[in-house]
Amino acid sequence: MIEEIRTIVAGLLDELDAVVALRRSGEGVAPHLFQKGDDLSELEIAPRYPLMTLVSRLHKRFPAIRLGVVARGCDERAYIEMAKRNQIDPDRLSIIGFACTAEEAQECYCARPYPQQLLVGTPPPPGPVNPIVAEYDALPLAERRAFWRRHFARCIKCYGCRNICPECFCEACAMEDAVWVEPGLLAPPFPTFHLIRAMHMASRCVACRECEHACPAHIPLTVLYDLMRRDMEALLGYVPGADIAAPPPLSVTLEETPLRVARGH
Amino acid sequence: MDYRNTLTTCIYCGAGCQMYIETIDGQITGVWPAKTNQISQGRLCIKGWNVTGFVDSPDRLTTPLIRKDGELVPAGWDQALSLIAGKLRAVRQESGPDSIGILASAKCTNEENYLMNKFARAVIGTNNIDHCARLCHAPTVVGLAAAFGSGAMTNSIPEFETDTNCFLIMGSNTSEGHPLIASRIMKAQQERGARLVVIDPRETQLARIADLYLPFRPGTDVAVLNGLMHVIISEGLEDRLFIAGRTEGYEEMKAVVEQYTPERVEEISGVPADRLRQAARMYAQNRPSAFIYSMGITQHTTGVDNVKSVANLAMLTGNLGIVGAGVNPLRGQNNVQGACDMGALPNVYPGYQAVTSEEVQKKFQDVWGSTSHTGVGLTVTEMVNAVGEGRLRALYVMAENPMVSDPDLNHARRCLERAEFLVVQDIFLSETAQLAHVVLPGAAFVEKDGTFTATDRRVQRVRKAVEPPGEARADWEIICLLAQKMGATGFDFASPKEIMEEIARLTPSYAGISYERLEELGFLHWPCPAPDHPGTPVLHQGRFARGLGRFHAVEFQEPAELPDADYPFTLTTGRSIFHFHTGTMTRRTAKLHQEVPEAYIEMHPDDAARIGLNGGRRVRVSSRRGQIELGVRVTRRIKPGVVFIPFHFAEAAANALTNAAIDPTAKIPEYKVCAVRVEPCHQDVS
Repeated sequence: MIEEIRTIVAGLLDELDAVVALRRSGEGVAPHLFQKGDDLSELEIAPRYPLMTLVSRLHKRFPAIRLGVVARGCDERAYIEMAKRNQIDPDRLSIIGFACTAEEAQECYCARPYPQQLLVGTPPPPGPVNPIVAEYDALPLAERRAFWRRHFARCIKCYGCRNICPECFCEACAMEDAVWVEPGLLAPPFPTFHLIRAMHMASRCVACRECEHACPAHIPLTVLYDLMRRDMEALLGYVPGADIAAPPPLSVTLEETPLRVARGH
Repeated sequence: MDYRNTLTTCIYCGAGCQMYIETIDGQITGVWPAKTNQISQGRLCIKGWNVTGFVDSPDRLTTPLIRKDGELVPAGWDQALSLIAGKLRAVRQESGPDSIGILASAKCTNEENYLMNKFARAVIGTNNIDHCARLCHAPTVVGLAAAFGSGAMTNSIPEFETDTNCFLIMGSNTSEGHPLIASRIMKAQQERGARLVVIDPRETQLARIADLYLPFRPGTDVAVLNGLMHVIISEGLEDRLFIAGRTEGYEEMKAVVEQYTPERVEEISGVPADRLRQAARMYAQNRPSAFIYSMGITQHTTGVDNVKSVANLAMLTGNLGIVGAGVNPLRGQNNVQGACDMGALPNVYPGYQAVTSEEVQKKFQDVWGSTSHTGVGLTVTEMVNAVGEGRLRALYVMAENPMVSDPDLNHARRCLERAEFLVVQDIFLSETAQLAHVVLPGAAFVEKDGTFTATDRRVQRVRKAVEPPGEARADWEIICLLAQKMGATGFDFASPKEIMEEIARLTPSYAGISYERLEELGFLHWPCPAPDHPGTPVLHQGRFARGLGRFHAVEFQEPAELPDADYPFTLTTGRSIFHFHTGTMTRRTAKLHQEVPEAYIEMHPDDAARIGLNGGRRVRVSSRRGQIELGVRVTRRIKPGVVFIPFHFAEAAANALTNAAIDPTAKIPEYKVCAVRVEPCHQDVS
């Protein structure tokens, strides 16, 4: 599969300015910007990095640049929500989509482990739903609070969940606003620090699970976001990352009554 | 368009996390966690995520400075280096090499510390070289060397996640001091049900999630450790095979700990007897058990005693030489392990080869061409005093800030102000550099190549991502230029890689380490005695470095200064996760500054009521040595009678208060215990 991707990238470098992908150098793998003449045998597809963050950074820094990006399903979903919010210019981006392996889909509990613009690989079966979600659903309300209290007590306030998130791009962040979160405390105040982010992720979280992987405290953050995504779909009929034409429901005016419940359901 | 990600190692604590520094056209544009690094695994703490936050600060030093008419004014490199070389030569000629002292740096690379050791010994001819390890883990180096024959962390960090069944953490606020090590402990607890015992005067974050938390009175560590051993022996939980086969001195140690019944220990330390028993059982019955400690154990006048007691406890239960166990001192700085390894100490050459040995002296003489005498040099604490007394006429400081980090700062200031010639090489005009006669602009960690050695003896690469600002230069280049200016040979290195080749030649534990191997493997744990040796994650397997492990019989002694009617509180000091040491870098990093912009004192609500704080927000804290004013955090997470101040804030420096009383062997000051008075500030009363 990787050879096929390298061949496509080599071809695209004739028409594009550069292609965002992963590169192996020496002992490690990191995001990279491949340009014409670069050694494409160094191009890799694992471990995952949120490459759309880099695409966005480059689009903003170089207003004319035309990029390609080697993308998984989650990368493409991130792109869809970022493009709607003017973080990426769709006219200046080509997606070289490839399918994850069945093992990756399992590990990531991924419902859609391949992009819409699939160029390489065959779609594997979707992964299962995270079993912690069902365990959590079975808990009475008081215990749900205790569940999060126990996990958030380990938080070391690295902001890694936010920093790694392709959809967290606000210049001023409410998690850093002393009005909402008293600064300088460890663990940060319960539950505001985490719930502010969770609320802001509604209609944005595309279930790439980078936040959970970046968490030094091993907090099952994606359970929170899976629940949020479930509510978004049930209440607003919105699946983040699914449709680039669908306007984000929380970005429209209230006169448009986006809530299904408000329409009498 | 030049896009790069440069893999390097974090400049802050000793965990050894790695990250990619992203640059576009030579400008830093971001940080990516390194997912392929064995320590950080794609995770970072807030300091790691913001590790480049100070690099572009307008406060960076960009040119050498020379003091003229009382003012530091810009100068050229040649002028500055000529001045230093001339002065050092003159002082050496008039008063001998031992009238010059050198402070190396736990922030700098192995290659730079090696060169500084070579400069001190081969060019100046003195063993007066030391660094801030004196102020953190000197008792570890001394105590563990006496017990095991090697003064370093016995095991490696990944074992905590995969193998350790019980963690006993004493005197380490791990989630703030070494966040990515705490990450492993949390994971072991979450996913494998590993047990966690925390012994600390403050209810730290890990104490709150621990299976057992034992609060105790600062400075009573030996009593608590002896009490744990008393319970283990009286309940027959000791490892008799290990004691018989691998140790010596057991009976003498046993005779002493027999006196430390849990009830007596409760009287001394305040740890409830029953909880002490539970902790002892948990540690002894869940092997492999890892003992983890940091400054809470070492920064005492009984620092070496404390470390020896930790070693006793681990040997008593056979928790040495096996994966997941061990005595694990967490080193505070990115390269404090390496600076010690490289001979930035007054008693040893690189690889802990004694300066007192004529054989060792000859070995270095043969390669370097010349070296110093066989007398042990001065320590940090002694050097500062010697400057004050005029015995040390010149002091050269590389990237250290004793004007905030030393104990009893008023005394330190009086001494350093008296310095006849003070040179400071740093990236900022630190509080110490402000007193200097010559200041040389060094390069930050992202501006140079080299290696750091993490707390678990893990050697990793540091790589240059950007150019230093203005005329600033890498510290290794500066040392080479100065040595050459003084007429020395053997300092014509073209790169840190070449310096490492010389290190490997002269340092048996680094003999198998090279840039080629690090490029391929990512890291190597010393001892790594040969180019085909895989490195040694676990020390003392089958045999201690000194042969048999040695038990030491240790009696409890009170700290040097206890609270009394005039100074009724016990002050203890430490780190906040949001800052690092003297704050020169973290206080210039916006994201860290906004978390904790100024100093504070933690105080129990009962104590706040006792001093009549009445909702006031600021207090004056005084000791016999100094006085500061700062904000208050009232919290139940500290014992009544004990107060805590983080040491990062020069304008309200905890070290204006601390006691310079030192451990008799390791010469470490007692930062963790002194007596203070706390009073509400008048401006609060309205």
